[in-house]
Amino acid sequence: MSTFSFLEATAWQCNQCHQPLQAAKVMVTYLGGSFNVELMACAGCGFILVPESLAMGKMLAVEQLLEDK
Amino acid sequence: MEQLQLRDLEARCIQEEQPFCTAACPIHVDVRAFMTSLAQGDLRGARRVLDRTMPFPEIVGRLCDQPCRPFCKRGEIGDPLAIGRLEQFCVSNTPTILKLPQLPAKGGKVVVIGAGLSGMTAALDLARKGRPTTLVSPLPSIGGSLRCSPDSVLPQTVWSQAVVLMEGYGVSLCTSAPLDQESIEALIGSHDAVYFDWDEIDPAQVPLRVGTPDPLTLALDRDGCFGGGGSRPGRGYSVIQQVEQGRRAALSIERALQKVSLTAQRDKEGSCATRMVTVTKYFAPAAEILPADPTSGYTAAEVRSEAGRCLRCECMECVKQCVYLREYKEYPKTLIRKIYNNQAIVQGTRNANKMINACSLCGQCTQICPNDFPVASVVRTTRQGMVASHHMPPSPHDFALEDMRFSLSKLCRLSRHQPGTSGSRYLFYPGCQLAGSAPEAVKRSYAFLSQHLQGGVGLMLGCCGIPAHWAGQEELFRQTLDDLILEVRRMGNPTLITACTSCLAVFKEFAGGLAMTSLWELLDGLQLPTPSLIQPPGPLTLHDPCTARHQNELRRSVRNLCAKLGLDIVENECSNELADCCGYGGLMQMANPPLGRKAATVKAERSLLDGLAYCAMCRDNLAATGRPVAHLLDYLFPQTAGGDPLARANPGFSQRHENRARLKADLLASLWQEHAAPVPEYKKIRLILSQEVEDLLNGRHILAEDLQRVIHRAETTGSYLVNPANQHRLACFKPVRVTYWVEYEPTGRGYRIHTGYSHRMQLPEVKP
Repeated sequence: MSTFSFLEATAWQCNQCHQPLQAAKVMVTYLGGSFNVELMACAGCGFILVPESLAMGKMLAVEQLLEDK
Repeated sequence: MEQLQLRDLEARCIQEEQPFCTAACPIHVDVRAFMTSLAQGDLRGARRVLDRTMPFPEIVGRLCDQPCRPFCKRGEIGDPLAIGRLEQFCVSNTPTILKLPQLPAKGGKVVVIGAGLSGMTAALDLARKGRPTTLVSPLPSIGGSLRCSPDSVLPQTVWSQAVVLMEGYGVSLCTSAPLDQESIEALIGSHDAVYFDWDEIDPAQVPLRVGTPDPLTLALDRDGCFGGGGSRPGRGYSVIQQVEQGRRAALSIERALQKVSLTAQRDKEGSCATRMVTVTKYFAPAAEILPADPTSGYTAAEVRSEAGRCLRCECMECVKQCVYLREYKEYPKTLIRKIYNNQAIVQGTRNANKMINACSLCGQCTQICPNDFPVASVVRTTRQGMVASHHMPPSPHDFALEDMRFSLSKLCRLSRHQPGTSGSRYLFYPGCQLAGSAPEAVKRSYAFLSQHLQGGVGLMLGCCGIPAHWAGQEELFRQTLDDLILEVRRMGNPTLITACTSCLAVFKEFAGGLAMTSLWELLDGLQLPTPSLIQPPGPLTLHDPCTARHQNELRRSVRNLCAKLGLDIVENECSNELADCCGYGGLMQMANPPLGRKAATVKAERSLLDGLAYCAMCRDNLAATGRPVAHLLDYLFPQTAGGDPLARANPGFSQRHENRARLKADLLASLWQEHAAPVPEYKKIRLILSQEVEDLLNGRHILAEDLQRVIHRAETTGSYLVNPANQHRLACFKPVRVTYWVEYEPTGRGYRIHTGYSHRMQLPEVKP
């Protein structure tokens, strides 16, 4: 399965681990569809960042596509 | 939907029926397309239309006796179109544009005896069908009685053109043939089928008993022999009837040669009836354009003007009013075809899902349709099927169903007898949207009813379940309604007084055992409170809700109440049973928010006047378009310190939630001296939102309590991101299916919200 990268430099830092976010490979799922994606996440606790542009853009489009399958 | 059901339904939509002219035309020339091309100045396009149907356009186009003309709808608002004169112009100024294809040669020898126009037509049609055809005439040239037409009407060149055309398709021409009984008998014997054109052949000449041919097939008494054309008793000679008869005979002969039924499915041949409906009130009257110079006939400009008077008859009555059908560019027949195809998809994308979920189910189209096309019931059944087969996308309805669950939660739900009583003769049921939109109006209405009705007036807050019904979630709908019915029974079967027409429509259809009336009919029978001090500045248009479409008494009572209040009401073009939906019905605004806004705008703009609604959802959606709209209760039970009822803003989703919960708490405390359930901790979080952010979140269906939950969890666990540059915090939380994100900033007065968004895609669980 190919991996889609949504990495972008970010100013957000983890409040608990006090460290900048790093690239992380995670699997996201919806209605039986799963995708390997690269997102920024906290290396300490694993908090994954979904930026607004991704949630309201590509992610929404894929959700709607899966809903009509 | 089964295929048979689809066909039955499709047949009810008349949009694709023939227009009146085409149906009346014995050969069904597409007059509408012809006029459209002419009106655009596209003479070649117009000629192409004629070439497609007319056997010899140069002849028929000049001589057609226009039996369609009395049926022209334009005649109702002006004069019928000058179709004959327009055809003459067209064929006189264009060459042949379209040459119809010829089918591969087949067996079956045919002879056509008599070369009048009907014989010529039969020969040409049969040759085009690939049948070897001979056209025999006793005269030296073809044309029959039309040969006598003066040159000014029919130039002699048309005959040589016709010969070239027929020979091009392989017709063998045999003129000056000696025809007597013997030679005709020989021709019958040597061919598989014969057509006699009575325009040239005397029936007494032929060696068989002619009698009256079968009008459907033109078959004569002998197998393989057919006859038609010429003058008909009482009707004289009609050019277009010659063509019709020749064409009818050619089809009979083709069927006879194929050894198939001569009679099956021929009811649309020749002039026929049409079910088309065209309403002419939308068109301005216009008289016939006559040629300025009668001797030289029409000019090109006159042709365009005359053809431009064509109404291009179609139905589209429902589409003219329905914002949904217009948005998806469908009429009912094409709509259900798409729905059928969508549900037939096994693997692949179901492209029509959004369309199916965007219908408001309001029934306006059915009301308008001459055949009561049931769009709403088809769409609703389709949604139920999608839910049952797990093909219903979650996102269009989740938000509304959560809203419904909230109204039914212990935070909002309530049922009590009137304070100080232990039984109820009545039960006031304001409905979830009135409670969410105007909680003060609920309180004042209840106070009035309690004071003026004998026998105890109980109160019930909740939801009738219609959002689940609209979403196709029948199980949830039934369960919700059953719970409500059970509760009404538990209270001793009081008469329900509903303020919401949707609730009432649901109860009438699905809870017929309950006693019920509407608030409006009930108030109409009571002495009203002293006339309102608040009066609108001018007349108001009354916006009936779509769910009152079949509630005539209720709508009448609303008008009576307005009269008693001294409100000057003006009906608009879509009042009463034609009412539009405001965009909430069928959860349209959830499935397709921009369309929902369009629907509200269309309804609001049915009149230029300020509006008056008596459905809370209509009130709020119409107000959201920026038009001044009040609710009838604002005038019936005005708030002493209330502002202008016409200026009340749409509360938005979050405020509706808040209003419902607070209404229950307030009423419990003030009327029954009870405390509401304790407010959850997260509800104590104070939010600071700019109008811009509030609108953004409303549009994204993110409620204040979603924000509160995210922040509460982030602040109690410390699990959030922080931006060192501005100290903003970013946190997320997934209460059920949707993950909500909030960017916020703690201040001394509460949490300032910068943005919020959500997604349904699931991330791996992270333990805080």
